[in-house]
Amino acid sequence: MNFCSDSSFAKTLWKGRLPWPILSILFILILGLSIASPSATGTSGKTTGKATRAVEPLGQPVKAYGSKDAPITMEVFTDYQCPSCRNLYEYTLRLMIGDYVASGKVYLVHHDFPLSGHKYSGQAARWANAAARVGEFQSVEAALYDNQDSWGADGNIAKYVSAAMSGAEFKRVAAIAGSCDYPAITSRPDGSNPLAGIARPCPLDIPIAQDIAMGYHIPVQATPTYVISYKGQHLPPASGAVSWMILKQFFDSLLSQ
Amino acid sequence: MNTLNSVLTSIAEYGYWFVLAGLIAAFCVRDPRKRGTLVQILLVFGGIIVGSIFLAAAYGKLKPLPGLAWSWHSVKISISLFAIQVESYQILSPAAANLVAHALPFFELFLGLWLITGVGRRFSSLLATLVLCGFMIAISHAYHKGLKIDCGCGIGPPAEAGPAALLRDGLKFLLPSLLLTIGAFWIHHKPSAASVSAPATATTTPSLP
Repeated sequence: MNFCSDSSFAKTLWKGRLPWPILSILFILILGLSIASPSATGTSGKTTGKATRAVEPLGQPVKAYGSKDAPITMEVFTDYQCPSCRNLYEYTLRLMIGDYVASGKVYLVHHDFPLSGHKYSGQAARWANAAARVGEFQSVEAALYDNQDSWGADGNIAKYVSAAMSGAEFKRVAAIAGSCDYPAITSRPDGSNPLAGIARPCPLDIPIAQDIAMGYHIPVQATPTYVISYKGQHLPPASGAVSWMILKQFFDSLLSQ
Repeated sequence: MNTLNSVLTSIAEYGYWFVLAGLIAAFCVRDPRKRGTLVQILLVFGGIIVGSIFLAAAYGKLKPLPGLAWSWHSVKISISLFAIQVESYQILSPAAANLVAHALPFFELFLGLWLITGVGRRFSSLLATLVLCGFMIAISHAYHKGLKIDCGCGIGPPAEAGPAALLRDGLKFLLPSLLLTIGAFWIHHKPSAASVSAPATATTTPSLP
């Protein structure tokens, strides 16, 4: 390494041969930029809100696992026909449900965000919500993700839902799921209300539409998207599958506070 | 700390204008000696600018989440959140993503300080350029895969990994770093005034019989 040019330059610098007025002007400009910069108000690079902003609840959960009193809440927006959502459920959420949800550390809330590009995702959301009304949401969600490739090809969701519960319960769920007399709703690329234009929306679609509206507000730009809340503070939304190892490490760091 | 971050972010965000202006000025100066001096001045400021980029990035990754004070625990939380962002690129395995998440912020801190000091500028600037190229490759990969993820750069407000982040990283960050690298190597290999005048003194030395 040849430091000669740097050291001789340093001598030149301190002999005052460089234009000190220019350096002073530059320093003042940079200082002025930092004062005028919006980031000088202390906003985080990771969030767009103030440090002490009031917490706005994301809404009444329809489908959830665990205790509401858990210190960490994870709200997940998913599409049952989305492969990434399946990966998140199979390789992360399932492990989390058996571990941190069961031990009361995490409260997991599911929100529906069926995408318009998936042919049967709206129907799947209806089946899941119908199952949630009879207390069978967890088994149906597992059945939907486990058999996603199958029902995603032919739309025969009833086959897998019926296998996840008793005959009597399936009859109740099927009756609820079939109570709507118009096609299943999905989120819209333009962010409009999925129930717009429907004179009498069926009760089953109302919580789905509420989840979609919530998703627009986040905003959900891809599925899965999840929002983690800790001690009343919503952390920035994240999307994509995450491994249980990485997510668990994050939860541990939050809980160690 | 917020003021320092604001200064660093401002330098990182707007420093490339100074670099571009300096480059134009260097081309306009005809006298080689004055050009060499101007390049040396630009290298000092270029080192500060590129160093600020990395320091701002490190700060953005390490700073506590809103509502938390600076502590080792809050840094651990921020690092573990950054690990989620690294994994979302779907390039590395979970273990590798975790390792990168734990090492990268501190590496950026070291690299930023190294650049600012000006010690071994050729190597520090070359390393900075290579690292920035790596970031741009990762962002391109995420965009190509259609991932809607936060770029995780840590500088300024969150930006989605895509053309906008690529343009920002390429113009504001990679360009000054590339110019700094080229300038550092050029000034190192530029023939000095002493070596030009050496043959004149050699002819006066009497030769022995």
